[in-house]
Amino acid sequence: MAEDLVLDTAIRDWVLIPLSVVMVLIGVLRYFVSKLMRSFQVPDLKIVKEGQVIVRARNLRGAANFIPPKSFRSRRVYFSNEENGLLFVPKGQAQNAQAQMFSDPNMAMDMMKKNLSMIIPQTLTFAWVNFFFSGFVAAKIPFPLTQRFRSMLQNGIDLSTVDVSYVSSRSWYFLNLFGLRGLFSLILGEENAMDDTQRMMQMGGFGFDPSKSLSAEKDGLDIVQHDWALPKFEHRAEAVLKKLVS
Amino acid sequence: MAGQGNSSSSDKKSKEVMNDVSTFRAENLQNNMKVVYYSRTFLSIIGGAISGILGLTGCMGFILYFIVMAITSIGLIAKAKFSLHSYFDCWNRIILDGFLGGLMSFVLFWTYPFL
Repeated sequence: MAEDLVLDTAIRDWVLIPLSVVMVLIGVLRYFVSKLMRSFQVPDLKIVKEGQVIVRARNLRGAANFIPPKSFRSRRVYFSNEENGLLFVPKGQAQNAQAQMFSDPNMAMDMMKKNLSMIIPQTLTFAWVNFFFSGFVAAKIPFPLTQRFRSMLQNGIDLSTVDVSYVSSRSWYFLNLFGLRGLFSLILGEENAMDDTQRMMQMGGFGFDPSKSLSAEKDGLDIVQHDWALPKFEHRAEAVLKKLVS
Repeated sequence: MAGQGNSSSSDKKSKEVMNDVSTFRAENLQNNMKVVYYSRTFLSIIGGAISGILGLTGCMGFILYFIVMAITSIGLIAKAKFSLHSYFDCWNRIILDGFLGGLMSFVLFWTYPFL
């Protein structure tokens, strides 16, 4: 690892730049394909209703301190009493709704489409890179790494004397895969910005079980410590006015 | 880098912070954090290109990354007119969030000019 290796410029022109361009184009293509494949479901009336109730309860919880104690209590009873409160879910009904949601084929289809549109291009690109561009040093990264990275960054090269900062085309692929994520979020907007894991979590929390979120919201509303903010504002206003007058 | 998140409720907020009453709207806060994320990503790409063109290698490049991120934080604070609590609920949101997220983009665009 004494002297610098001279990399052929043909490698740059025919491996590295095409690889980057292809990955950018695949990212853009995947964005538009997933936009086209997104099926529009007619929203169920009951689900929309429950969602709106949840939003209202959340607003009440957020703004609880700006209304007097009596009105807060009456609103809370309206939402969460055990007889006909909006957030109260009878036991048998909840089970039914959940089973219905799980048996809905559209939801599963949608998830599968999203996952496939993620996985297929990645595997294809990886196989393409492995098939055509393996077995030679492709690029030099500008920072040194320790020997431990050798097996990861230089697989297919089998030269123990080459400095670790020379990497094979596979690690160039991974560098592109992770590095272009930021670029995609800039050029494609917010829908591409969030990670897949985040999206999965959101779907699990939001779409699946409305009755569970109803009861969770009810619990949240029940434990709110009400503390009316207006008296404090009066004190503060008094202090400010005193300062102005004196 | 549009920093106009929630100017509508910002005038009220500054005085209410003292009373420990939280008056943040979740949507506005999320929008502000998205703006922070975008500007960090953009600046990490630009910073990577700069350090590649300057030909920095090794530790110098990472030092440049830290400097760029620090400049971003200062710029965002200046955009918030130095009254951070009218836009964000704590300092970490503007200083630490997304700090490591832009690192991969930085490394990629740092490598490009070396090809």
